[in-house]
Amino acid sequence: MSDALAAELGAQSGSGAPRWYRSSFWPYFGGKLLGALISFLVMLVIGFTIFNVMPADPVATFTRQHPTSPKQIANLRHQLGVDLPVWHRFLNFVGHTMQGKLGDSWQYHQSVASLIGERLWPTVLLIGSSTVIAVALGLWLGIRSGWRHGSAFDRTASGVSLVLWSVPTFWLGLILLVVFTVGAGPIPSGLFPAGQMSTPGFSGSWLAHVGDTVHHLILPCLTLVLVIVAQYVTIMRSSIIDELGAPYLLTARAKGLRDDEVRRRHAVPNALLPTVTVIFLQLGTIVGGAIAVETVYSWPGLGFLTFQALEIPDLPLLEGTFIVLSASVIVMNLIADMVYRVLDPRVRAQ
Amino acid sequence: MRRIGIAGAVALIASAALVGGAPRTTAASVKTVTIQAAQIKTLNPFLSYFDSELNILGSIYPSLYRYDANNNPVPYLAESATTSPDHLTWTFKIRQGLKWTDGQPITAKDAAWTFNLIMTNSDAATANGSLVTNFASVVAADDSTLVIKTKTPQANMPYISITITGIPIVPQHIWESKLKGLGKYLNSDYPVVGYGPFILAGYKTGQYATLEANKDFYEGKPKIDKLILQYFQNDDATIAALRTGQIAYARNLPATGWKSLQGAKGVLAFKEAPTRWTGVEINPGAETRSGKKLGTGNPILADPKVRLAIAYAIDRQTLVTKVLDGLGLPGAGYIPPAYTQFAWQPSANEVVGYDPAKANQILDAAGYPEHGTYRVDSRTGRELRFRLGTHSDDADDQAIAPYLVGWFKAIGIKLTPQAQSMSGLNDNLAKGDWDLLMDGWGTGPDPTYLLSIQTCGTLPKDDGTGGNTDAFFCDKHYDALFTQQSQQFDPKQRAATFARMQQILYDANCDIILYYNYILDAVRTDKVSNYPVGSENSSGTYPLQDAFASWEQAVPESSSGSSNAGFWVGIGIAAAVVVLAAAAFTVWRRRTAAERE
Amino acid sequence: MSLVASPRTAGSRQAAAQFLRMPTAIAGLAILVIFTGAALTAPLYIHPSDLDVTQATGGQLAPPSRHYPLGTDQPGRSVLLLLIWGARASLAIGVIATLLAMVLGSAIGLVAGHYQRWLGRGLMHVTDWFIALPSLPLAISLAAVLGQGATSITIAIAITSWTATARLVRAQTLAVEARPFIDRARALGAGNMQIMVRHVLPNVAPLILVSSTLTVAGAILAETTLTFLGLGNPTEVSWGTMINRAYTGSAVSRGAWWYLLPPGIAIVLVVLGFTMTGRAVERILSPRARL
Repeated sequence: MSDALAAELGAQSGSGAPRWYRSSFWPYFGGKLLGALISFLVMLVIGFTIFNVMPADPVATFTRQHPTSPKQIANLRHQLGVDLPVWHRFLNFVGHTMQGKLGDSWQYHQSVASLIGERLWPTVLLIGSSTVIAVALGLWLGIRSGWRHGSAFDRTASGVSLVLWSVPTFWLGLILLVVFTVGAGPIPSGLFPAGQMSTPGFSGSWLAHVGDTVHHLILPCLTLVLVIVAQYVTIMRSSIIDELGAPYLLTARAKGLRDDEVRRRHAVPNALLPTVTVIFLQLGTIVGGAIAVETVYSWPGLGFLTFQALEIPDLPLLEGTFIVLSASVIVMNLIADMVYRVLDPRVRAQ
Repeated sequence: MRRIGIAGAVALIASAALVGGAPRTTAASVKTVTIQAAQIKTLNPFLSYFDSELNILGSIYPSLYRYDANNNPVPYLAESATTSPDHLTWTFKIRQGLKWTDGQPITAKDAAWTFNLIMTNSDAATANGSLVTNFASVVAADDSTLVIKTKTPQANMPYISITITGIPIVPQHIWESKLKGLGKYLNSDYPVVGYGPFILAGYKTGQYATLEANKDFYEGKPKIDKLILQYFQNDDATIAALRTGQIAYARNLPATGWKSLQGAKGVLAFKEAPTRWTGVEINPGAETRSGKKLGTGNPILADPKVRLAIAYAIDRQTLVTKVLDGLGLPGAGYIPPAYTQFAWQPSANEVVGYDPAKANQILDAAGYPEHGTYRVDSRTGRELRFRLGTHSDDADDQAIAPYLVGWFKAIGIKLTPQAQSMSGLNDNLAKGDWDLLMDGWGTGPDPTYLLSIQTCGTLPKDDGTGGNTDAFFCDKHYDALFTQQSQQFDPKQRAATFARMQQILYDANCDIILYYNYILDAVRTDKVSNYPVGSENSSGTYPLQDAFASWEQAVPESSSGSSNAGFWVGIGIAAAVVVLAAAAFTVWRRRTAAERE
Repeated sequence: MSLVASPRTAGSRQAAAQFLRMPTAIAGLAILVIFTGAALTAPLYIHPSDLDVTQATGGQLAPPSRHYPLGTDQPGRSVLLLLIWGARASLAIGVIATLLAMVLGSAIGLVAGHYQRWLGRGLMHVTDWFIALPSLPLAISLAAVLGQGATSITIAIAITSWTATARLVRAQTLAVEARPFIDRARALGAGNMQIMVRHVLPNVAPLILVSSTLTVAGAILAETTLTFLGLGNPTEVSWGTMINRAYTGSAVSRGAWWYLLPPGIAIVLVVLGFTMTGRAVERILSPRARL
């Protein structure tokens, strides 16, 4: 998948925008922004269609285990707006979305936007920290492996990352959870907390709170890093290999630079270009991994919220998380385009 | 410059660990207990109806009654109650001298206002509207007298406003201003003004709720200063948290995991008497109230003989052994066995037990001969082929389904399980588009509602709305008994009526009760003592636990501090990662700097 | 899988020889052959009664023993037999979803590459929109709406994994159509359909093959994730449902590692098998591409 992606990316970066866009930054940016906006609108339509093709009525589910009179049921249907015909709901949806609202959750009795607002920061923390660590580690491994491809180091690094890429995220999470909380063999019990992002009722200075959050973050972050690091290793490794035969490296060597210096000062900066864009494009995949990780570790983020919405299913909430996750991917793609433009001297020069 | 920044960050982390200290050591004087809670969606007392929410609301808002150790109503806010000779007027004396947590007195007016609000405001009726449908009027004669008039005599009156399962009473002066947008009010003005052993001090959606002891509670301040209810998505995580002492108590554990806690040091793993059953519903021919046929249910199931044969084909004991790991009781009567005063079991010669040979005989005799692998209806030529709806998120449903498939096959019936979301399943149920469904119900000590969902009045209207029937069961004789019990004020007589109703349900085989599962709990005796688990009976079962009493009476033990070790290890690892990264970065900077020169 | 035989070029024998010289290729192919073989032949040695919970004979969550090399599950069935039987569902969903995605992706890529005017551009825009959608949330939403079960999971996976193929096929189509033999064919009176199917498709096919082995790997992972989240058909035996049962029944807390580990390891192996085979073929087809 990552190989195909790298290849695909190569094709994309070459044919991304017509030549006249590149004459200066703002028209280029405007074009990309317009594209992103259209993507967003299309995504809204797709989202609405998915969630309204089969209107589900959650009321029976809410009232199933609780004393309820038929009158109560009718009221609840009205409260949730599920008694309206589809066209009416579509108008409501369009209206709400235009105002930046995402409707009300069926199960929480509060607006989807406020729920998402509460859960956004934990997800940003989890995805952010894992991405930073995975990128740093992945690039380092990728550079080393690519530079001496075929070496024992390369084979080990590539092999391990390939295996990790093949591991189902939630399964790895479950195993790490049990091993590092309950303990196994030489690993003592109680090393890490079993889920959530903070010790409830924790008291102490803000620094202690940071420490507490880090303590909770380590396992979910480790799980996500292990699973996503392979992508960066693979991409960086192939970019380096692509650069290996480049004439400028020969020139650099001819100038008498040491091997290390050739790599660091010439090969790496050039190979980084395609990689940086991929880092942003990959965030979409990481969002998927975050759903599994958050569920296993009860991490109170958007992924976990998505999982909780699945139970009923709470369609407005599911719709909300879908829109927010998709929008963030679209934004990341936009940033990837911008970063590429800023970094690539060939594009900048034109 | 940059190096200094990193050194600073390292120092910051290190000092965070030093200054902040480990959890729970800085506030040693506050006795905190953390326990597991199921998911909490909202803590607005007019909207909440999940157990985890009701347990909290029961401890932060008062009710007229509360439960004693035997699950019988005893006075709480109502000191005493008298009824008129026609049983239509109830006069409650409200306990005097109690104050809401903001200092305002609690009076009969608060109670009257709460009931009237639920009776008139549809948002306020969301959770508890059905409990007041028989109320004619509620007035506060004076600050200490509450008068409730009912339309017909109502025997279960003490259960209407009772902690956890009944209506919580709220302070009028606080809630008056919340009426607009009540349906979305989150009740998040902490600390929440209420009354009870605890005060709601905070709630983080999907994470935890914090309760603090109410020092003015009339039975004295609870021993636990701070009670934290933490949510875990994952049972393995809950069990891990319990083992490591992160939480002191957990309820509703899965059988396999609970067994792993038996014999663990400092942990008492115990089982409560069952308050719910798991069963399989059979569609007896779904109809509306006026008798109009509904849905796509297989008409063969309308034949009571087929349903009886199905009842004989199911080995309930094996389900208990295999699915519940032996931690339950085989099913029979409709009211779960925790409520010994009302529970009913068939006599030895009435029992429909596991007997596939008899099931085959019944089907042979009733005109369903075998035709190939499966039987057919000799009248219509239709094959005995049914759908079985299961809840996709319910592990027990999934575990039971393959057993049913196997046993049905043994009597020549083809059963096809179809896993569905809760909404999908309930949608099909309401429309009558089902043959068999996995079903489960629990009840509080008053089984009125559980029995009501089998009455004809709960069938849908002709337009498909207005129904809340369990499985389209409808029987005139049962309905008459239901009306009769609602007016029987002597618990013994009422129990006798319940027994006859349960007999009717048992014979109809529309709801085959498969088993009652024990509620599996574990408490860390090294974290809390005096946790009122009660005493076990001869079969090793403990009585039904009451969150209100448990939290009020439990005494926290001074923490052994074992959980702190992990915290330090965590901090150590985090610091090590930062230091390593910083070192690597520094080396890299130095080398590139050298090259630049 | 006849990975080696399909390129109809003269160098196919050479390619096969090259393939067989790569240890990772051999390992990947061996894994696939073993698992596919076990899955296909399973009905020969696994009797339905072995999987029928009402006829299970083992203890509950019994540890590995001579009779049950990988222990038993909660009802007392052999985990080893479940594992082999589960390969059928997991592989079937992965392969069928991939086939759907390949047909859809190749068709769109081919058409978009051939008709380079508004139709091609329009199709590429649609592809871009789908690329922008995060695949797992989309698959979750689709499966939640379509209802539980293998069919909806297969559809959800197919809908979320055709875009990469479409892009690759389009790029390749553009390259192929620029070659002179297409002009010759056109001059000889070949229609659009004929050019696409007879001339372009055979040249794009090897690429589709590579893309599909990599997509299968992703699809199998997606299947287990969706099943784990409770969107699969829980009554069917698959690796995803096995892990789901181990998870919901908290078998891990009981120390029943033999129930959680084998399905996960099987998934890792099969995904590895597809990825290694796919990469090997990719390397033969374009030697310069990322070793």
